[in-house]
Amino acid sequence: MKQFLLFLAKGLALLLLTLVLLDVLYTAVYMRSDSRSKIDYLFNSKDKNYDVVFLGSSRVNNHFVPKIFNDQGYKTFNFGITRSRLEESALMLQMMVERNYKIKCLILQVDLNINTNDHSEAIRSLFMPYLHTSKTVRDFYRTIPEYNELLYIPFYRYMHYDARVGFREMYHSAIHKKTNALENEGFHPLMTSDKNLIPADLSKYYPKRNKGYEEIKAICKKNHIQLIALTTPMCMETINRDYFNHLQEVYPEIRRFENAVTDDKYFSTCGHLNKDGAEEYTKVVFKALFKPKK
Amino acid sequence: MFFNSLHFAIFLPIVFILYWFVGNKSKINQNYILILASYYFYSCWDWRFLFLLVFSTLLDYVSAIKIEKSETTSERKMWLWLCITINLGFLGIFKYYNFFASSFAEVVHSFGFTASPILLKLILPVGISFYTFHGLSYIIDIYYKRIKSEKNFVDYSLFVSYFPLLVAGPIERATHLLPQIKVRRKFNFHKAQEGIYQIVWGLVKKVVIADSCAIYANEIFNHYTTMNSLSLILGAIYFAFQIYGDFSGYSDIALGTSKLFGIDLLRNFNYPYFSRDIAEFWRKWHISLSSWFRDYLYIPLGGSKGNKLFQVRNTFIIFLVSGFWHGANLTYVAWGFLNALYFLPLLLLNRNRKNVDDFTLGFNLDSFRTLFNILTTFAITCIAWIFFRSKTITDAVLYIKRMFENHNFSSEYFRIERYSNELLALVLIFVVIEWNNRHKIEPISGKLSWLKLSLCLAAIVALGVFSDYKEFIYFQF
Repeated sequence: MKQFLLFLAKGLALLLLTLVLLDVLYTAVYMRSDSRSKIDYLFNSKDKNYDVVFLGSSRVNNHFVPKIFNDQGYKTFNFGITRSRLEESALMLQMMVERNYKIKCLILQVDLNINTNDHSEAIRSLFMPYLHTSKTVRDFYRTIPEYNELLYIPFYRYMHYDARVGFREMYHSAIHKKTNALENEGFHPLMTSDKNLIPADLSKYYPKRNKGYEEIKAICKKNHIQLIALTTPMCMETINRDYFNHLQEVYPEIRRFENAVTDDKYFSTCGHLNKDGAEEYTKVVFKALFKPKK
Repeated sequence: MFFNSLHFAIFLPIVFILYWFVGNKSKINQNYILILASYYFYSCWDWRFLFLLVFSTLLDYVSAIKIEKSETTSERKMWLWLCITINLGFLGIFKYYNFFASSFAEVVHSFGFTASPILLKLILPVGISFYTFHGLSYIIDIYYKRIKSEKNFVDYSLFVSYFPLLVAGPIERATHLLPQIKVRRKFNFHKAQEGIYQIVWGLVKKVVIADSCAIYANEIFNHYTTMNSLSLILGAIYFAFQIYGDFSGYSDIALGTSKLFGIDLLRNFNYPYFSRDIAEFWRKWHISLSSWFRDYLYIPLGGSKGNKLFQVRNTFIIFLVSGFWHGANLTYVAWGFLNALYFLPLLLLNRNRKNVDDFTLGFNLDSFRTLFNILTTFAITCIAWIFFRSKTITDAVLYIKRMFENHNFSSEYFRIERYSNELLALVLIFVVIEWNNRHKIEPISGKLSWLKLSLCLAAIVALGVFSDYKEFIYFQF
């Protein structure tokens, strides 16, 4: 039995060593990666100056064309991430402040994402490599139930979120395989769909006060960033467009742009514009809220 | 409580410590600890079904004694059939009632009548197919006077409910397991070490191979109508490795866990994908179930005695029943039927026992033929797996049709942000490891065992799928 207990102890030590070594390896690779996602780009950049940054979900990622702003003398970047929720947008903004970004104006998508105070597991994963290195990330996740395991058990964070930051992603980062996330200053255009638009049903949504949005407002106020919260287009077939009126009852400051583009030819899906639609929409927003510098 | 859960990782060391440090003095204490642990393990799934398990155990225990004590053949038969009827009755109600009721309604409907069958909202008790067959083998052995009935209820209960095999086998035999339960187990370092190696290798098969393959196989099978030929072929291959990794991985963990308590369980898999024909495949796949059907169904039906027609009938019966054992769905029956068809030429040509010897490969014509046979057997097995995995027979047929008619063999990029062929390297590495270790139970023991153990641990934590957790497939059966 003594021999077996010794064997087990050695086995456990070996497991611990494996976990530590893998954690060091994965973290080292992610620390050097800056071209796979907007989050690693953000983490590995410093002292950037932007006139305008865009934050939100796919309805920012696919809708705002920074080039249209940049052509008018502004310096902008689209930091919208598909599947991101307001919680992750708040963390991204905090990271920008941590990385000493100078931002004059933040355009934040606040429409369907206001319905949930929950987080996006897929996007939360992408912050995990920085848990030890970034105080902002650490503080942000201090209250989540699995925080201690994620922070103190070596490699646990990469196992827990293996779908997004596991071996596959680490390998692609190690060989510097680029994605299109950073092309077009962060704007990712969608194609026109051949199929008819399937109407979105907003009758199940109830706008309510949102923790992430409140946090973003506080960060902007503290760091003197002008915050423009706005809605983005939905196709005209959308069921219960009255939703947007209720939204404004909860947060009166939200600018209404859900009708900025209405023609079906500008949509890829009911909730997402295609490339032409995105350009139209960006122009409408620019014209309504900004003046050309050039 | 899954074998690959944190709960089990805490449960197992506690039972191990109690077993070897508290209950080590006598066989009675050891058995009490194991039976309590087994009942706790089972109640973690659903405590209500514990009553069913205890009832089934009690029924088999009493019936066996009654059969043995019966003085007339009719009395013996009466107890045998009473026990079989009740056991299969439970299985029938929980597993097959809704299937038969809705099938009956469909048949009635096809004659122009309407029928509204009363469907039951029942949860299938986990492991019911396994422990029912477990108990039945014991009763039948008693009836045929192959063994003596077990008088000690705790020992018998442990034979039925022993937690490593309780929910998904292997389906044990009283002649193999009971004698081990009847004596005090002494700790054996080499056996326990082998157990640890087998558990680790089982985990590699489950979380690295099976769960990775599941991600791709699910995507392909769920969207087969839009997939090209290459993806559909890969889908069948990935599912073949998913089910193999899942079930043989489970069996390895079960066997390994049992070795930690000094008890050997029956081997369930013997590298089936290296089989040279379908008969050999069935001697190496889910061995405890195949041999159960052979001993308790095929042989009582007459087995290979009688003329060819008689043998063909018996072969089809066991394959169809085996398919139906897996679940109340015609896809499983079709899978069984297809395997019977594969078996048919071997049976008719008396070649079903041709490939029982060991073999090696070299650079010669015989080796080339052997390799060709292995690949052909694997290919037809994959075709059968398509029926096993599909929701309906129509889906399976359309899947195969599209696989042969699409003619597009380019790599596809899935909605899950993965290329169809990117898992092939992992599968190939796994095949090479299995091939090189096919004469051993697991590949870790032997030379450089610490290095191999480290690599397996690294593979589990680095390549394992943890965020998209999948239950063991055979738990549903």
